[in-house]
Amino acid sequence: MDKKPTVAEKTVVQEPSILHESVIAPLVSYPIEVVVPKARQQTPAVGQRATRLDGRLHGLGQTGYIDDITFPGMLYAKIKRAGVASARIRSIDTSEAEAMPGVMAVVTGKDVPCNSFGPSLKDQPVLAYERVFHAGDGVAAVAAVTEQIAAEALEKIKIDYEVLTPVLDPLESLKLETPGVHAPSANIYQSKVIKKGDIEKGFAASDHIVEGTFRTQMVEHVPLEPHATIAMWDANGRVTIHSTLGRITLGRADVARTLAIPISRIRIVATIVGGNFGGKNEITTEPVLALLSKKSGRPVKSVFTRPDEFIASTTRHPLIMDYKTGVTKDGRIQARKIRLILDGGAYCSWSETTLGKACILSAGPYNIDNLYAEAHVVYTNKTMTGAMRGFGAPQVCFAYESHMDDIAHLLKMDPLDIRLINAFNEGSLSPTGQTLQSVVVKESLLRAAERFGWHSNGKGSTNGGTNGGAKLLEKENVNGNTVRV
Amino acid sequence: MRAFDLYVAKDSRDAVMLLAKHSATSKVKVIAGGTDLLADLKFSAHSPNVVVDISRADELKSITVTDGGLRIGALVTHSQIMKSPVIQQMFPALVDAAHTIGAVQTRNLGTLGGNLVTAVPSMDSGPTLMALEAIASIQGPGGRREVPLTDFFLGPRKTILKADEILAEIIIPKQNLGKPTHFLKFGLRKGQALALVNVGASFWVDAKKNTFVAPRIGLGAVAPKVIHAPQAEAYLEGREITPEAMAEAGRIAATDAKPISDFRASAGYRKNLVAVLTKRALEGAYALAQAKR
Amino acid sequence: MVTVTININGENRTATVPPETTLLRALRDNFNLPGSKLGCDVGDCGACTVIVDGKPINSCLMLAAQADGRKVLTIEGLASMNGVHPLQRAFEDCASLQCGFCGPGVIMSAKALIDENPDPTIPQIRDALGGNLCRCTGYVKMIEAIQIAARVMRGETAEVNR
Repeated sequence: MDKKPTVAEKTVVQEPSILHESVIAPLVSYPIEVVVPKARQQTPAVGQRATRLDGRLHGLGQTGYIDDITFPGMLYAKIKRAGVASARIRSIDTSEAEAMPGVMAVVTGKDVPCNSFGPSLKDQPVLAYERVFHAGDGVAAVAAVTEQIAAEALEKIKIDYEVLTPVLDPLESLKLETPGVHAPSANIYQSKVIKKGDIEKGFAASDHIVEGTFRTQMVEHVPLEPHATIAMWDANGRVTIHSTLGRITLGRADVARTLAIPISRIRIVATIVGGNFGGKNEITTEPVLALLSKKSGRPVKSVFTRPDEFIASTTRHPLIMDYKTGVTKDGRIQARKIRLILDGGAYCSWSETTLGKACILSAGPYNIDNLYAEAHVVYTNKTMTGAMRGFGAPQVCFAYESHMDDIAHLLKMDPLDIRLINAFNEGSLSPTGQTLQSVVVKESLLRAAERFGWHSNGKGSTNGGTNGGAKLLEKENVNGNTVRV
Repeated sequence: MRAFDLYVAKDSRDAVMLLAKHSATSKVKVIAGGTDLLADLKFSAHSPNVVVDISRADELKSITVTDGGLRIGALVTHSQIMKSPVIQQMFPALVDAAHTIGAVQTRNLGTLGGNLVTAVPSMDSGPTLMALEAIASIQGPGGRREVPLTDFFLGPRKTILKADEILAEIIIPKQNLGKPTHFLKFGLRKGQALALVNVGASFWVDAKKNTFVAPRIGLGAVAPKVIHAPQAEAYLEGREITPEAMAEAGRIAATDAKPISDFRASAGYRKNLVAVLTKRALEGAYALAQAKR
Repeated sequence: MVTVTININGENRTATVPPETTLLRALRDNFNLPGSKLGCDVGDCGACTVIVDGKPINSCLMLAAQADGRKVLTIEGLASMNGVHPLQRAFEDCASLQCGFCGPGVIMSAKALIDENPDPTIPQIRDALGGNLCRCTGYVKMIEAIQIAARVMRGETAEVNR
């Protein structure tokens, strides 16, 4: 790649614009000539400044995201959310909405040819039919000539619910007597167990047993650009879908399944995505929009509102993590027992991947000969949890590192030392038996400790680390704090 | 957002006339900076039929010192407060309070009047103005009336404003000009956070006896409206200024506070915050008093 | 319906819109200026930031009617046929934007800051970006770019590249 974009060799002209009088325009070409790198050109990446090809259009505000795209005759769709966590739908009356001037199409769960999808388990309805499993479930959708009319039409849709008691606590959900969220299926819908050595023997050989429970909360990706879709059903029975979807191949299969049409009739155009972070890895309203387009014969667009984004798109799994570790008095881990309960929310989504990764990584980067880790993901009547940056790794990292600190505190050891004693070496075996290569845990820890002055308060002090951390925080406050608390 | 009719008031009198005219037959809302109102209306099914825009009433946009005290127009934005040399010099606490509201963009839009009229208990303008015994000047069809800010708030999102009235000015009475005041806010983040607790404290110092004179403490987010801490104020009146007295006043203020538990914080945590923040706000005001001497 | 005339990027433009139309919607839908983005629609994210009469504001929290007769600068008004604004150049060179959705808002906030304060400190830059959320970058490269652009605009360096 060339180092710099082409520099226009011409005299600098004073900006004529009244808006930034004093500024002389820098010498860059405009309109844009994007430098296209030669295919597979090897560039030294490490230590180099990474300029992005799309950087200029981003800065100019000219990147066309999906909401910047319109088609002639395009309608705007809105989805009515259930607003109740668990309910039976007795009836849906859309007649008043349909009669509104400007409303061009209304669909409900009964209009969906195959009302289930999902990246692994096909347990998620496109629109709720007979049952509501969480408050963000779509129950009806309207396409109208303006967004305003669509929103007003939603208010005219009457739904009669028999409200049921929701299952909200994952630990309640675990119990056999708790009614299944998706009865007759059990609430535990996936599990994983990792065994290594003999934990009972390990605990017996330990001087101390340390236990702790750690919980993390639900986290939303909050992409700055909300989920959005434009669907156009054409006269030949083919549908073109513009979408913020990140995984279009998978999405195409899900759309084919839910619409019950051959995959060859579906074209998905992935638009430039304004932030994904794992939250745009599966379809959301694509089939609904396709159906609205089919019914109305016009292109239909929908953009999630920010509240939609929070309740109707996937989130990060909250975890309840029980840790029990046996250590010798000099800080060597003899055995560790872990139980992870993942709150899966109403649908499976990417729980399988998250469960697996959380379980495999739950012991931390430490050599532990005797290990037992089990992980279970359960349904609750909450917003579904799915893929998000790290797939369960950040949650268990919080737990095992907090747990290591607790152990160090109990043993009155430096939290750095206990990690150095137990950390993986070159060739260590992972909990699942993989031989690890290029292991630099200890080197990284030591380098980091040196960089932020870990030992400046005296090696071996149990609060040496806390003091070092506090120092960093203080600096942060001087820089950015506006509130003098 | 649901459809509504919009009427643009030329000035405050016009605004009051428009309100009188439409409030008889319609559900009317007033828009100034719009930061609270529009955010509310976007996701609400209960919309007004009529909105009266008072943002062009230029006579409500000035900050002046008169015989009556410091008068701040209701349409003065939070940014304007932060940049006002008069306020910077007399009441840095008001600058601090304005700085904790929203972010640059919302501070450029949002007005002092709007922050008060919305009457959210966690409002950041309230505690300092309460501690300075500010007066609300209300404009109605018959002219102006003045009420102490303590009586202006009735409860969450409720004020004494009648349907045909607007808040016109906030007056800090003459006797409090330059009174050492300090504002503190505790939120879950540095930026764009609602207060878990916010505190404004002010008092004069009797230089000879080194005692508290006319101590006033305003507390936000710990009751249905912004409140005074009467017991803590009574405790401090005439007492010698010591760290212990300030700490004790904090503990008493915590009993004056009647917080609720919600998803941001528990009532107990808020009470602890009141104790600590009150003490620190008193310390801050004292430091300012000494710096001025 | 209300008819509004707004000076947008130096040009007087008129549109007739429903009264409840926000400035953001008017810019995007009526004036065909989609550079300002709708992120949250309640003034939290700052993706809709534009400069009205010299001050950065959330265009989702201002009615189009309230902008009648005012001067509005959007991201589209920052570059001209002669070149891009130093901020845009610096943001490009520092790779300050990843997905880019927050970019127009961030750049407008930065532009308003430098106009008012040609030599901002890092805390001042952070404060000025307090109303702009970015989920990709962590802001570090943005702060760097704003410092570089400020240097260019002060005439201390002609070269945006470090």
